[in-house]
Amino acid sequence: MEILILFGLIVGLMLIGVPIAVSLGFSSILFLLIFSDSSLASVAQTLFEAFEGHSTLLAIPFFILASSFMSTGGVAQRIIRFSIALVGHFRGGLAISGVLACMMFAALSGSSPATVVAIGSIVIAAMRQVGYTKEFAAGVIANAGTLGILIPPSIVMVVYAAAVEVSVGRMFLAGVIPGIMAGTMLMIGIYVMARIKNMPAGEFAGFGEIWASLKDAIWGLLLIVIIMVGIYGIPGVTGAIFTPTEAAAVASVYAFLVATYIYRDMGPLAGEDGDRTSLLRRPQALVTALWHKDTVATLRDAGKLIITLMFVIANALLLKHVITDEQLPQKITEWMLGYGFGPVMFLVIVNVILLIGGQFMEPSGLLVIVAPLVFPIAMELGIDPIHLGIIMVVNMEIGMITPPVGLNLFVTAGVANMSMMGVVRAALPFLAIMFVFLILVTYVPWISTVLPNAVMGPEIITN
Amino acid sequence: MTAASHASSRMDRLEETIIAIILGVMTLLTFANVVARYGFNSNIFYALELTVFLFAWLVLLGASYAVKKTLHLGVDALVNTAPASLRRPLALFVVAVCLAYALLLLKGAWDYWAPFANLPPTEGRWFPTGFDTGVRGQGWYETQDIPVPFFLRWLEPVFNEGYEYEKLPKLVPYLVMPLSMALLVLRFVQAGLKVWRGQLDMLIVSHEAEDDVAKAAAKLQE
Amino acid sequence: ACDEGEIVVKFSHVTNTDKHPKGIAAALLEKRINEEMDGKMCLEVFPNSTLYNDNKVLEAMLQGDVQLAAPSLSKFEKFTKQFRIFDLPFMFKNIEAVEAFQASDSGQAMLDSMQRRGLQGLAYWHNGMKQMSANKPLLLPTDANGLKFRVQSSDVLVAQMEAMGGSPQKMAFSEVYGALQQGVVDGQENTWSNIYGKKFFEVQDGITETDHGILDYLLVTSVDWLDGLPEDVREEFLTIVAEVTATRNAESTSVNLAARQSIIDAGGVVRTLSEDQREAWVTAMKPVWAQFAEDVGQENIDAAQSINAAIN
Ligand code: NA
Ligand code: NA
Repeated sequence: MEILILFGLIVGLMLIGVPIAVSLGFSSILFLLIFSDSSLASVAQTLFEAFEGHSTLLAIPFFILASSFMSTGGVAQRIIRFSIALVGHFRGGLAISGVLACMMFAALSGSSPATVVAIGSIVIAAMRQVGYTKEFAAGVIANAGTLGILIPPSIVMVVYAAAVEVSVGRMFLAGVIPGIMAGTMLMIGIYVMARIKNMPAGEFAGFGEIWASLKDAIWGLLLIVIIMVGIYGIPGVTGAIFTPTEAAAVASVYAFLVATYIYRDMGPLAGEDGDRTSLLRRPQALVTALWHKDTVATLRDAGKLIITLMFVIANALLLKHVITDEQLPQKITEWMLGYGFGPVMFLVIVNVILLIGGQFMEPSGLLVIVAPLVFPIAMELGIDPIHLGIIMVVNMEIGMITPPVGLNLFVTAGVANMSMMGVVRAALPFLAIMFVFLILVTYVPWISTVLPNAVMGPEIITN
Repeated sequence: MTAASHASSRMDRLEETIIAIILGVMTLLTFANVVARYGFNSNIFYALELTVFLFAWLVLLGASYAVKKTLHLGVDALVNTAPASLRRPLALFVVAVCLAYALLLLKGAWDYWAPFANLPPTEGRWFPTGFDTGVRGQGWYETQDIPVPFFLRWLEPVFNEGYEYEKLPKLVPYLVMPLSMALLVLRFVQAGLKVWRGQLDMLIVSHEAEDDVAKAAAKLQE
Repeated sequence: ACDEGEIVVKFSHVTNTDKHPKGIAAALLEKRINEEMDGKMCLEVFPNSTLYNDNKVLEAMLQGDVQLAAPSLSKFEKFTKQFRIFDLPFMFKNIEAVEAFQASDSGQAMLDSMQRRGLQGLAYWHNGMKQMSANKPLLLPTDANGLKFRVQSSDVLVAQMEAMGGSPQKMAFSEVYGALQQGVVDGQENTWSNIYGKKFFEVQDGITETDHGILDYLLVTSVDWLDGLPEDVREEFLTIVAEVTATRNAESTSVNLAARQSIIDAGGVVRTLSEDQREAWVTAMKPVWAQFAEDVGQENIDAAQSINAAIN
């Protein structure tokens, strides 16, 4: 009963415009002071513990920073050019290229809204120029952008791994096949629609353009290789070089170097209108780039994102403390097993909880709360923890593009300059594809587990 | 520009510079540890713990900056449909909740930090009703791995009865708790005044990517 | 759930409840207290770090938010450096020597040594002797030259790894399996039961039976809380603690032997050292003692050595 009041209070506060972090934190504090013997000092300790006790969460600031350097540094536009060269000549080719570009950018970035902004801001405008409707363009990008959290690296996966203590490396591998599958399903869906509605096709620019655009994009795409080789190594050549957390920091440094010294779209070597200075002519840039205004601005903007996101997560961890203290997962498990619920019913319930929760909460914060609740139950029912993680991530993706609240809806509305409801309607046909995909992923565990099991051996549960 | 707005933009720049520096140092420290391990078969043993503490400082100090700039995430769907006459009282109520949150945490943060600095925590469950001088000082309590920089050696006579610290005492990283919560109270009070004067009607940005969206939209107009 | 009027005791630890020696001991304590002290005391165990991890639990205890914990002995080095004796390599010949030292005046005095800082040691709980593993055979300390070893945060353990030419690395425990498997680090040290429980043997070339150190836990409570208990309740509580400790510690050797056998059965390689090889390890590591003799107290080292000499 008290727990219902707690959750009611959280939702109520959020709906009247209290910041999500404060809604979570304030409700948890009230609950602890009234119903338990915890002191305010212990609340403060728990808040600090969000950082001190969860060092895997460190991947979040670094992946956000890497993403920021790549968006400002011109990586996105080079990836788009390469995608158009590859698949632009099919019917609906520019839309298919948009999905492919989102997939590639997703493999560099850990966040979905960042993917929408980076790719969408360019592709949507280009699609409209060649005659696609605004709605169609927005619908494509809003959906494909959600792949940002399914194709590794992924901030949401890091949060899941930290919340239930599974390996981040394993989660990343688990996202590869589902990510490629979802992207392919979207591309096929677009192709079918394009044939029916006779949408425009681009001209094949030849293998020369594929090669030229690949050469131009290669420095950005290399980061995919660096992250994967760094985390998993190459058998027979090198062992792994860093942990997934460290991979994120390396990615940030690499993205900074590429943006500043190779592409020179930002920093001391970037010119006013695209003319770039050679490092040889301005060698001091090696040092001055560190505090160049573009570098500082990127750090600052990434910092703002990190602060607001992590403040929600830290306060969600306060709520997690309440949930643990009340031994809520054990109670729910007993109750569910008592009613004879099996794995299938359980997964349906998880899907529903996440889809509803996704309306109010930003995905990472929601995951911090829901994962510890459902994880022990899932283990009791014999569900694979990695499979559960992928199911949750796909649910989050769908939450991002369903009304009334969805990060990707909002971002797309901004990028495409349309109303939220306009984007909702535009996203609907593709949303159907994502739902089919969710059902597939939920009931075919193999899709998620085959790759991590092949590379890292079967999952062990040691707790 | 008035003198006051000059001062506030200087304050903005200061806070933004601190945010950029902390994030930059975190990144370089973690990167340097990878290089030390893979390249030189060595380590920066304290890198992980120090980075974690910098992360905490970044987010906790940044939380008050985010109040000032109305960057905190929230749900605006319902608020946006509220009649205009209701919005100011609603926003005032939101400010009251936020202030209560920050004040409770400020008391908690002080009570948590004070023993590490040999200072008395407050008494009382909800409100400070006095100081509890019976609590054992924990000025001796050290972090796990971080060495003491030379400029903090003065802490030894003050907090550790003159004994040498092997590692940085916990009172230093944990200082961010009372500091950031006090700043949070200040920023919520300022936001409340703005709401009262009618210069502000919400304490949240509805979505994290608003800046990016504005930028991207500007790009499309070009 | 606890009844009205019972003294609630929260016990936070970091392992499972049914396989790890500490978790089993905690579960036994929970069972006995809740049966035998029904109506007076109620013990709630929070396993798997669900409430606090080992670094935070002692802070929480000093704040009065948790009453029982059992972190590894290294965690108490912040309270008094005497506890570094348990991390010093080859200080104790075997688990019997450890047991005898803990039961001696020196060992018992250490239980009370943190009182002024607010902690009261109640009992030593064994895990067992530590073994060394890496991604290549380790027979001599020179085999460890240039290898990266994951260690817990402890100046002694860092010095120990450096003494054998290894590079000590810090890493969150949850990342260790992946890091060993993918080769981010090369080796680690732990007890048989932890190496088996965390499946480290799967991702290492083999385990060398070095018995070079001890991994034990200290069951600890807050001085103020213990003092606040009614006399008779405290006596009954301490009696049960002592009995549970004796029961579980007596089984620790067989638990570790079983884990060792399970590793072999699962295809893991276990290497034993010849007398000469073992001597080479001792020679390489012993200089670490001098580095920490002042912290530990020479009289404690002497006490440990005379116990070693008495055991044959
Ligand atoms: Na991604
Ligand atoms: Na939604």
